[in-house]
Amino acid sequence: MIRLEGVTKTYKGEVVALRDATAEIQRGEFVFLVGPSGSGKSTFLRLVNREELATAGTIMVAGKDVGTLSSWKVPYLRRSIGYVFQDYKLLPKKTVAENVAFALEVIGRPRPVIRRKVPAILDLVGLGRKSERFPEELSGGEQQRVSIARAFVNQPLILLADEPTGNLDQATSVGIMRLLDRINRSGTTVLMATHDRGIVDTMRRRVIELDRGVVVRDESRGVYE
Amino acid sequence: MVFRVWYFLRETLVSLWRNLSLTLAAILTVAISLSLVGSSLLIREGAERATAQFQEGVEFIVFMNADVLSEQDAAIRDVLGTSPAIAEYTYIDKAAAYQEFRELFSDKPELVESVTPDIMPPSYRIVPANPDADNVAELARQFGEQPGVKEVATATEAIRQIEDFSTRVSQALLFAAVVLVAVSAVLILNTVFTAIGARREEIEVMKLVGATNWFIRIPFMLEGTIHGLFGAAMAIPALFVVDNRVLAYFQESEAVPLFRGFAVPDGYVWNTSIWMLVIGAAIGMVGSAIAVTRYLDV
Repeated sequence: MIRLEGVTKTYKGEVVALRDATAEIQRGEFVFLVGPSGSGKSTFLRLVNREELATAGTIMVAGKDVGTLSSWKVPYLRRSIGYVFQDYKLLPKKTVAENVAFALEVIGRPRPVIRRKVPAILDLVGLGRKSERFPEELSGGEQQRVSIARAFVNQPLILLADEPTGNLDQATSVGIMRLLDRINRSGTTVLMATHDRGIVDTMRRRVIELDRGVVVRDESRGVYE
Repeated sequence: MVFRVWYFLRETLVSLWRNLSLTLAAILTVAISLSLVGSSLLIREGAERATAQFQEGVEFIVFMNADVLSEQDAAIRDVLGTSPAIAEYTYIDKAAAYQEFRELFSDKPELVESVTPDIMPPSYRIVPANPDADNVAELARQFGEQPGVKEVATATEAIRQIEDFSTRVSQALLFAAVVLVAVSAVLILNTVFTAIGARREEIEVMKLVGATNWFIRIPFMLEGTIHGLFGAAMAIPALFVVDNRVLAYFQESEAVPLFRGFAVPDGYVWNTSIWMLVIGAAIGMVGSAIAVTRYLDV
């Protein structure tokens, strides 16, 4: 589903964010990307989503070489990838339902489809009763659930999550992880960057560790360290 | 497709309403800039028409010798009657000339008494087909060489000065209009950039969920077009104010006869208005497209 071969990413020709990284993630896997701040986790995710282009090496996502993908095809690649952020990136002037519906509207899905899917996904993340609230009226955990609903509503093949529990307390984080686990069980490949030791050690999934841009460890059912 | 049209319209209207202060700022910018552009175009047209009208009244006078031979007179009359360079002419005979002289110097009876109709030179008042100063000067030279002609009186210098003045005014106003269009384009772009900058996160989310660039651009472009159209619509009344007040003010001038021709037909004002709507819509649409594209490079 995702394959990196000898991928190097340098910014402005100096800062090396990723150095000769190679990894392969199969369909339906749940993978933690761990490492200290600045180790290249976010760059890894941004390369998969083609927000950045690799300086060297090949990246295959869902059977496509993102390095040679023409720019007009990028939106279609991104429709098969959901993205969840540490800071949620919800639109403050839209309600919960509107934020989720927005993701379908802007890729031109018909309204009857949107009317059907949005309440269903909000029920799935446990926010069916708060669909008319605005983001600022929700707790951090609830906002992250909205963000996950938005990322998942189009049933993507891949879900990328960049520190999704970074702003949340331990109890709330557990709830978010249950939700991501559930999404993973539905067949979606999940790649999650985190430095939350507790979560990684509890879940015991595959762990890819980065250190200063280098893949230093890749083990199935791994722990944080 | 129906869903998309609905989406574009809804997004555009909602965004216009939610960003009301920026919407109003953009519309006012367009309105002020375009009313200045339109006004300078109107005044320019007025100046050109005033010059043209002044030129229409231009004539030159060929004075014949008082003892002109009848065949010499007939030769002049023949040229005047057949030359395409002559629009029309009137003949002032000795008696009419004397009458005019008496009226002109009615306050100097001793001067009037010193002349008789017999010594008054008959003359032709000629309206040239082309009132251009150079052309009039050439015609005057040709008539001056004819036998029986005493002298030719022209207003060449006056025409030349007015033409020169009018050309300069016209060029200056055209330059002003071009500068104003450029300045308003920058002002409008600036407003649109601010409006779109305020919605960066929305664009970011749209890109992340896989919206195509055109899908992102269209609501912004519609919004810009609406800014431009409303702004231009607000500038149209300003044009009529310029027409009815400013140009009319010039027309009332007693001192400078040139200014009395300072008028543009209503049709011209309407034409300019339509052009302003087109320019406003185009600047708004293209400006938004440029501004939004800047945020699309991810």
